Amino acid sequence: MSELLLLLAGLFLPLFPLSMVFNEVFQRIRVASLRVALLVIWPQIGVALVLAAGIDIPAWVGFWALFTALLYGFRALALREVGLWTGFIATSAWAVLWLVMGSTVEGQAEWFQQASYALALSAPLALLALLGGELEKRFGAAYTGLYGGLALSQPRLSGVLVFVVLAIVATPFSPGFSVMMTAIIESSMHSFFVAVTVAMIWLLWSWAGARLLQGIIVGPAQEKAKADLSINSTWVYVLILILLVVSGIYSIGNLG
Amino acid sequence: MEQLLIILVPALPLLSALVNHLAYGQLGRRVARLSVVLAVFTFVVSAVLLAQAMSGNDSNQVALGDTWGILLADPLSTLMGILIAGISLIVRMYSVRYMIEEQGYGRFFMLLDLMTATLLIMVAAGDLLTLIVAWHLVGVLLYFLLGFDSRSKTAYRYAFWTLITYRIGDIALVLAAVLLFHAFGTWTLADIFAGIAENPGAHQYFGFALEELVGVLLAIAAFARSAQFFLHTWLPYSMDGPTPVSALMHAGIVNAGGFLINRFAVVFIHTDSVMHLLFVVGLVTAIIGSILMLMQNDIKKALGYSTMGQMGFMIMECGVGAFSLAIYHLIAHGLFKGTLFLGAGTVINEARKSDGVPKDELYTFVVEHRITKRHQPWLLMAGITLIVPIIILFFAHWLVAQDFFQKQGAIVLLFFGWVTGAQLLFTTYRMGAQNVWRLVGVIVLSFAVIVLGYAAISHAFDLFLYPDPEFSSQISSAASIDIFWFDVLVVLTTAFIVGGWLLKYYSEKNRLFRQEKVGLIWTSFYALVSREFYIMDIYAWLTRRLLTIAGRLNILLRWR
Repeated sequence: MSELLLLLAGLFLPLFPLSMVFNEVFQRIRVASLRVALLVIWPQIGVALVLAAGIDIPAWVGFWALFTALLYGFRALALREVGLWTGFIATSAWAVLWLVMGSTVEGQAEWFQQASYALALSAPLALLALLGGELEKRFGAAYTGLYGGLALSQPRLSGVLVFVVLAIVATPFSPGFSVMMTAIIESSMHSFFVAVTVAMIWLLWSWAGARLLQGIIVGPAQEKAKADLSINSTWVYVLILILLVVSGIYSIGNLG
Repeated sequence: MEQLLIILVPALPLLSALVNHLAYGQLGRRVARLSVVLAVFTFVVSAVLLAQAMSGNDSNQVALGDTWGILLADPLSTLMGILIAGISLIVRMYSVRYMIEEQGYGRFFMLLDLMTATLLIMVAAGDLLTLIVAWHLVGVLLYFLLGFDSRSKTAYRYAFWTLITYRIGDIALVLAAVLLFHAFGTWTLADIFAGIAENPGAHQYFGFALEELVGVLLAIAAFARSAQFFLHTWLPYSMDGPTPVSALMHAGIVNAGGFLINRFAVVFIHTDSVMHLLFVVGLVTAIIGSILMLMQNDIKKALGYSTMGQMGFMIMECGVGAFSLAIYHLIAHGLFKGTLFLGAGTVINEARKSDGVPKDELYTFVVEHRITKRHQPWLLMAGITLIVPIIILFFAHWLVAQDFFQKQGAIVLLFFGWVTGAQLLFTTYRMGAQNVWRLVGVIVLSFAVIVLGYAAISHAFDLFLYPDPEFSSQISSAASIDIFWFDVLVVLTTAFIVGGWLLKYYSEKNRLFRQEKVGLIWTSFYALVSREFYIMDIYAWLTRRLLTIAGRLNILLRWR
């Protein structure tokens, strides 16, 4: 039963090829708010299943998760569609969660910690899903290299986009930074090779993030500029980002 | 009071960034003046902290959190702090008018303020977490500063190269930090260093001594940040960013490698081979950077490769155990390179009207390659070439430290000084000077002043940064190799160089090599160097291949 739960968890903390299910579902949903819900809830189910299984995660699952995270991080390099990019990075990030599972205390506190790790990785991705919706609303598609120049024509939208992508790629002060540090701390106790691979996955995210940003915000201003993000919406994004930064700063203090 | 000053140093530029962002709507471009005023205060506070450190006060620190947020005020951090605060102040003063017509004027100053604050935190970090956070953020901020002109895809392309190279260094630093944390159970540098000093070699990881593994990882982090060979391509190509950013980058940011090695000196003195790795990589970088610098016809790119060469020297100095000399070098280099970058625009502007180069004997010799027909007595000239520099170098070093003969690092640096001085004199004799003896006299005098100044100042730096003679001697020991092999290497290198000089002299006198044969070798070498050893091409090809493979995988897996 426990093994079955663990296998089922491989669907929600995606392990390749089970990860294709999440990406299929994510691509079929076109409504941004539903995508947000999926990004927040999906890994939480995975965390709950792992904890319900109540067994130590076998080493081979760790290697499987590492391969999945590396594969999707690498594949994200060649993506230009924001939705696909979000799904792939989510898959890569959630697979990393398998590596931090052994780092926590027993009982309720364990669930809370694992759930917060999952949320730390999901929250900025959920914001990107919303921003992808905003891009689609304005341009008909959220695609890098298609229009560009957002920094000049939609400064608020591009500003928020920059900070969201920085949070996704686990830049310091984002909560993802602490999760990645925890993953490296945990994995280096067992194998230096695994720790180096986790670090490489982190590098791939940065690479993919920079490519995404450059394809959208860089370039000359559009001749017929679309509407920028409203001031109220910008404030909402900014407040959520501030919350993420505060939680990121707090979580650095808990490292180790 | 001192603790307040320690906090104020990074807090002032942070405050400046915040005010800049919030008040730009009301104050407009006047916010830049505010940024400059706060930069002046930052510089003054940094100067006070340095003065306290120089007056012999004990190192102080502030802990903003339980496990991280420790800021130090020790000799190294205060020295680096004043350099960063000073260069940042000059760059901001320069930018007030230079950037006036740019879109995003306020954003530029905000980014500069944030970068200054981050650099100041980085050099003052007293724990690994703070160091990692600041180290990582420097790369991110530099990416946005280099790509300040969001219309320029080229600027972003090279900003991206910088970011990725820096991330490689970040990863190495993170791995080193995590290994140290596992070994000592703390992120605090003071506790970690005390643990290493108390029981060196006690920890083994994956078959390696902890210090060895951490030393290699720290070296990689330093190589990426200081543009060492194979991780250097970002530096000369990041010139599409605004000139003040180039100045800040070349004068301040790129020096971080030397700082990191000095900060972790306790680790490096307990390594067997990492110091030799630093020496070899630094030497190769210095040679390649200098060759590529001479090849450039673009002043900013030439300055970029010059920085690469200088960083190579800095890392090489660390490799021979001259840690404090590396800090002096990075400060001196920061000041002159910052000046050169800020003056580059004016030079280019002037050169468009007139090159301003007097058509004197130096011009005919260096630019037109006109070699004098008159020859001075051969033996006399060879004697002066070989002996005078060595007398000056030995005398200067003997004045500051009588026991320098026992340090291999000092001998290696003396050797480089001797080769440089001798090469300069050797070249001078072939110049068509009206009064060759006057010229030689001026060169010898200049050389003596430089060497004496360099020896005295580096000795003062050594006393300030590493006052414990036992620790200094441990650094020298870590950089040393077996005395037999050291002597063999010195003799072989000397024979190689002197042989080269003699061959050059003899071949020119007797027209030994046929012009067409030499020409072919030179053309091949020129082609190789003009493509910058094909390293950028290889990286670009690799990148394209990786992206193609990623794309094919996506197609194969139907984008799921």
